[in-house]
Amino acid sequence: MLGMWKTNAPDEFVSVKFDMEMREGSSPSDGASSTPNSSGRRRNSAEAKEGLGFIMCKRLVQMMQGNIWISLNPLASAQSMTLVLRFQNRPSYGRATFAPGSSSEQPSSNPQFRGLRVILADDDALNRAVTKKLLEKLGCEVTAVSSGFECLSALNSAENSVRLVVLDIQMPEMDGFEVATRIRKVRSRSWPLIIAVTASAEDNVWERCLQMGMNGMIRKPVLLQGMADELQRVLQRAGEGL
Amino acid sequence: MDSVVQLQRQLVDYTVQLFNEGFLDDQFNQLQQLQDESNPDFVVEVVTLFFEDSERLLDELAKALEQQSVDYTKIDAHVHQLKGSSSSIGAQRVQKVCIGFRNFCEERNIEGCQKCLHQVKREYSLVKTKLETLFKLERKVLAAGGSIPWPM
Repeated sequence: MLGMWKTNAPDEFVSVKFDMEMREGSSPSDGASSTPNSSGRRRNSAEAKEGLGFIMCKRLVQMMQGNIWISLNPLASAQSMTLVLRFQNRPSYGRATFAPGSSSEQPSSNPQFRGLRVILADDDALNRAVTKKLLEKLGCEVTAVSSGFECLSALNSAENSVRLVVLDIQMPEMDGFEVATRIRKVRSRSWPLIIAVTASAEDNVWERCLQMGMNGMIRKPVLLQGMADELQRVLQRAGEGL
Repeated sequence: MDSVVQLQRQLVDYTVQLFNEGFLDDQFNQLQQLQDESNPDFVVEVVTLFFEDSERLLDELAKALEQQSVDYTKIDAHVHQLKGSSSSIGAQRVQKVCIGFRNFCEERNIEGCQKCLHQVKREYSLVKTKLETLFKLERKVLAAGGSIPWPM
């Protein structure tokens, strides 16, 4: 009989329990031996005689953060053995598709980006035009806006269909950080995804971006390959549930 | 009337020269990569935006530096914008002057700023002329029935 349950511990671990029934006359190969007690006195499992093999198993299992024990029947003979194994929760490597071919292929051949709905916010007309074209070249469907306010209202009216927001950090009135904070107040960490665009060469910009709930960052000037790489990285991480 | 091949040759030579002299950098190649049948005038449109933007910013900068009490924050903001747009189209020499310009702003060095404004005006004027010549050559090639060989 096999059962699985989650402990009260933080969701880091999952336990799997094996219950093995032991019928009379049969014994596990390295089995525990038990002596029927003719006086009928019950013994707890800790007092049951354990074979060397079983002791070794027990040691190994406990080293692996699990446990193994024998349950006795009222006659103090081995009734069942229980094995508990503990596994660490790992993100599943889901259905994220990897770009076909080598990196020497045109970034526009990546099928992942086709039809990806993007809102682009940049107050500079020139940068907006270039970045929009760049994203379209990669296959995205882009709505370009020129301020943080427009970005938020575009997101609201689009409901849940926008997958990604590309955000210039240095915008007057409402900067990218504030936009991201407002988005994350009402939306989950991975929908929509947010990629920051910054001219800053400072090291701690990335940390700030992360703190504000952003998923990626690109430095200006924005290059086709650079955007493709960061887009792919961000989508992949989202697919892994990180 | 020059043949198509000769015109193309002229175009390539001129472009290579611009890159060698540092007027344009790889970002300009990026723009060319983005141009396609759905947007055949993309580069010209973006560069035109750059011209309009820059001329406005240079005017603002001149005005700001003439003030009795100079607002360095405002000047820095303008230069930052100019640096951004010149970098977006690959106007490398303009971008480089902007970097020095911002340093002088930080130091509140009025002479340094004035010198930089003079320099950036000059570099802007140069790259504008060169790009206009480049586009003229491109139009000639297309008019003669040729195609633009990009990247060069």
